[in-house]
Amino acid sequence: MSIGASASGAGRTAAHAELSLIEALRQGDEDAFGRLVDQYHTSLRRVARLYVSNRAVADEVVQDTWVGVIQGLWAFEGRSSLRTWIFRILINHAKTRAVREGRTVPFAGVAADDVGGPEAAVSPERFRPADHPTEAGHWTSLPRDIETSPEGRLLSREAGERLQQTIDALPPNQRIVLTLRDIEGCSTEEVCNALGIRETNGRVLLHRARARVRAALEPHLGRE
Amino acid sequence: MGLSTDMPCQELVELVTAYLDGALSPADRERFEAHWRTCPACRTYLAQMQLVVGSLGQLGCREAEENGAERDRLLTLFRTRGFHHRGPRERSVPLGVVDALASPGDHISYFWESEGEFDAAAGFLAPGVERDEVCVLLGHAAASSRVLAGLERRGVPPDDLERRDRLHTVSGQQPSDAMLQEISDRVRTAVDRGVPMVRVLGNLGWGHPGWPAERDVLRLEARVTDAIRNLPSVVMCAYDVRGLTGRSLLLGGLECHPLTIRRGALRRNEHHVPAEQFLETLALDAA
Repeated sequence: MSIGASASGAGRTAAHAELSLIEALRQGDEDAFGRLVDQYHTSLRRVARLYVSNRAVADEVVQDTWVGVIQGLWAFEGRSSLRTWIFRILINHAKTRAVREGRTVPFAGVAADDVGGPEAAVSPERFRPADHPTEAGHWTSLPRDIETSPEGRLLSREAGERLQQTIDALPPNQRIVLTLRDIEGCSTEEVCNALGIRETNGRVLLHRARARVRAALEPHLGRE
Repeated sequence: MGLSTDMPCQELVELVTAYLDGALSPADRERFEAHWRTCPACRTYLAQMQLVVGSLGQLGCREAEENGAERDRLLTLFRTRGFHHRGPRERSVPLGVVDALASPGDHISYFWESEGEFDAAAGFLAPGVERDEVCVLLGHAAASSRVLAGLERRGVPPDDLERRDRLHTVSGQQPSDAMLQEISDRVRTAVDRGVPMVRVLGNLGWGHPGWPAERDVLRLEARVTDAIRNLPSVVMCAYDVRGLTGRSLLLGGLECHPLTIRRGALRRNEHHVPAEQFLETLALDAA
């Protein structure tokens, strides 16, 4: 099990493709713009709804975002990925709207980068205490083994339903990080860039969010 | 149960995200994997976590919606609002200082005569503040501090805007090339941060000590129009009708700006001269 970390060659190719896409958009290539809409519109709506209360306002935020993209094309220099940039525009608009609506805004204010107090991924009660002579910090209550069949790689319907509820119940900062990273498939770096937070803090929030989701789904994950 | 004493299970569960992100130090990564090999419970934990992450990813894929009508509307927006579009642009930027809209990329001169008209110029920044745009105050110190005081009076504390990176005060005491570069850099940096629009309010220091000569300021004014044409920005330059020379007003205020504001009215300016032609005439004048 190894997790691919860097692929700078592929990264360069992607950056190059992105620059030609931006050039096409600047020249008014409508097919290219249509593809961009297909690729991001649903994602933008999902993320906008994490900031503003109702669907109509979220749709306005998304439309403003597209206008921002259309009008920003000539100024955009590709210092970040196109995706990061589009999310950043969205988040700016969404925050402005949320503030106007008097809502609590994720990552706003002085403590924007605050991750909150300590939070264990797994309840400490499930491990042997630190003063245990031979097995300090080892599991006492084991995580249940999960299915290994191909079908086992998917959640059961029941767990799938719990999944959305669990995401909705996350603290706002954790929810936005989890949404961008795991649902939208941004890299941790892109997420932190879009939100303007430090990467270490972004990863702490992601970790806590994932741990909470796993804990909530645990009863549905294991084999009976 | 894991036999490795090197990394307790309780520590491993806290490192899972960093591990999956490839963000562990080589030493920690080695300890992590060593424990993982010997501990079935932690293997299960990691597998659960990967299942959760994979399921979240599917949530993103599954929800592709039909955006037919929406897509057409956005394509129309692209067609009409994109800067590739030739012809007049949609006016969408409230000017604040007059009850009128400008288009992104506009370069406007604002002729003021009374102190009241000068103070009203701060109104140009007010809609920007409300819409979370970036405002750039470019000019000589006396004018800038008066505009800042004007913002304060409007209930917009400038320090708060500066802290949030929404207001930048820039001295204009540099050659026109550098100043032009600075304006375009400010816009690009703001856009990169996801800001929708940048407003620049200019109070150029014609003849002020430390400022470039009139000719260089004119060269700047002539080139701003093209430099910002394709950027999401509106630049408004204030012209002091009583204090400036006729030549500065005529060449700078009129010939360098496609739009003017005078006595509360925004007008298209037929005296505007394209930059190339303007600069050529300017060079001939000097010779």
